[in-house]
Amino acid sequence: MPASNTLTLTILADLTDAQIAEAARAAGEPEWMIERREVAWRFFSESLPPIWKRTDLSKFQSENIAVPLGPQGTLVQWDAKLAEQGVIYTTLAAALRDHEALVKQYIGTAIDPLGHKFNALHAALWQDGIFLYVPKNVAVELPLQAIFTLADGSHSTFPHNLIIAERGASVTFVEEFASLDSEQQILASPATEIFVGDNAKVRFVSAQTWGKGVYHIGAQRARLGRDGAIEWIGLNLGGQVQHIEAEATLEGNGSRVDWVAATFADGTQSLLTAPMVRHIGTNAESHLNFKTVVDDSGYSTFDGMVKIDHSGQGTNSRLEEHAIHLSSASRSDSIPGLQIDANDVKAGHASTSGQIEEEQLFYMLSRGIKREEAIHMIVTGFFEPVLDRIPLEDLRERAAVLVEAKI
Amino acid sequence: MNTDLVIKDLHVNVEDKEILKGLNLTVKPGTIHAIMGPNGSGKSTLAYTLMGHPSYTVTGGEVWYKDQNVLELEADERSKLGLFLAFQYPVAIPGVTVANFLRSALNAHRAEQGKDAKSTSIPVAQFRKELRGNMAALEIDDSFVRRYLNEGFSGGEKKRIEILQMAMLKPSMAIMDETDSGLDIDALRIVSEGVNTLYGQQPEMGVLVITHYQRLLNYIKPHVVSVLMDGRVVREGGAELALELEERGYDFIREEVLSNASK
Repeated sequence: MPASNTLTLTILADLTDAQIAEAARAAGEPEWMIERREVAWRFFSESLPPIWKRTDLSKFQSENIAVPLGPQGTLVQWDAKLAEQGVIYTTLAAALRDHEALVKQYIGTAIDPLGHKFNALHAALWQDGIFLYVPKNVAVELPLQAIFTLADGSHSTFPHNLIIAERGASVTFVEEFASLDSEQQILASPATEIFVGDNAKVRFVSAQTWGKGVYHIGAQRARLGRDGAIEWIGLNLGGQVQHIEAEATLEGNGSRVDWVAATFADGTQSLLTAPMVRHIGTNAESHLNFKTVVDDSGYSTFDGMVKIDHSGQGTNSRLEEHAIHLSSASRSDSIPGLQIDANDVKAGHASTSGQIEEEQLFYMLSRGIKREEAIHMIVTGFFEPVLDRIPLEDLRERAAVLVEAKI
Repeated sequence: MNTDLVIKDLHVNVEDKEILKGLNLTVKPGTIHAIMGPNGSGKSTLAYTLMGHPSYTVTGGEVWYKDQNVLELEADERSKLGLFLAFQYPVAIPGVTVANFLRSALNAHRAEQGKDAKSTSIPVAQFRKELRGNMAALEIDDSFVRRYLNEGFSGGEKKRIEILQMAMLKPSMAIMDETDSGLDIDALRIVSEGVNTLYGQQPEMGVLVITHYQRLLNYIKPHVVSVLMDGRVVREGGAELALELEERGYDFIREEVLSNASK
């Protein structure tokens, strides 16, 4: 962490590649990174926004966004004893100074910095985020947690998390994005790249609990080696608009993703999650179970895809998504996709959507439970299998309170 | 206060089809009252209507219990009045554990207007003790406390959990809708013992046992047997009527009813 905070704020519309390079140089970043930022910024400036049918950015006034440049002081807390085992847990900015070769080896190799306009914006402007490195065969028992919020006065944040679990390692990483409600529009554009080595295990919790006013445009991708496994838990509760593109790439034979998510859109929220599983290795497994609740005029989209390459023989995949509608004005779209180019695969899909079943309500009412409480219990119960997997009690409770307040 | 459950000239439609066609029945407290009838006679319609299921439309008649017009009450209010329905097909509530469900139901019963919910809720130790005691009596494994209600339960397990709920809520008028269906002999014995024990503990409880077969009545001995046919009670008698039905089937009553109607 630099002693002097070099944070400066510039309006996005006024920003130039020269300013970005200057801030990066002031922070002591290596030339290759500065160059990448400039390339990304030019891509951002010159490219058209992606066409997203289900993510409405028409009300977003990007030109007024105040952008922070330079390190922002991600707070890192952990058991320093882990360092004795070779574990590195620090900010990405610090890692760029102290572990440059490792960062260079991995950063941008899971998420294409020039994938689309917003990926490029992130790649040009990222500050801090977490660098987590777990060496071969080291098991980190306690979850490592990072909470991201907004720097004072800024209207945007671009954290980049780089998680590397070497062969046989295991670790839990929890990222949470939280803020107070804001009158001003906020742009949050985080990216998390996860590398699961052969036989390694990663549990990844991503909790989006922003306050009102936040536009969250996120990218996440995990790449898995042979017999690697990731347990992926998503919570999508806050913000105004969410657009998360996420991918688990099962490159290694016998690798596995177990992916659950809870999404609750109420008020005028519009929350989209686009999870993609790509089966490349043989005998890999993917299990997805996404739960969605919409209320008021809330809108949620599940845009999921399981893609099995011709090499993905012996794949076992199951995709489930379930949605509950609590109001007539709320909407949820489910667009499950399955693309199979191998012949020896098992791939299942199940989906439900609708109001709370009258039979469930009647059963609970018949025991004396009031209708309103019955609805609360059913919705909480609907999310329970997801919340139950959150390894941190305080986050689990906070999520439960947030869900309760939305019903 | 009249503690009889009184059903007068009850007419009920399901999706515009009349199922109950002027049913009259009185269930007295402290009485085990069996309702028997062939398939399609309206037995389950009666059970659901008494509890207030929204798919059953009452087009005529009255139901009174404890001086309340039952048909005007929501299902939860009927429960608090003392009615209980043991479902033929209990519903799964994913994510809600047996313990949480029961605690919520009990606390809903204990809640009083104008009083803080915390002050009326059942103390944790007392709840646990009652729950464990009733579970042991019904031979339900401890692990069910933390399982999601009815999710993945076998038919027999579901029925035991129904009786567990009945034992915890202690209704004054219990309606059992084909509780014997899908039960093997062991489960039938355990479930029946559960009902008999509860009846022994509160002998003022009325029990309306709805069943197609006489089998259940070997375990839960009825004081009164009413025969339901084509949406009406066509015959009433003592326990011996159930035996006669077992022996002769429903046809002899059907013929009697038809010949009476043609007279």
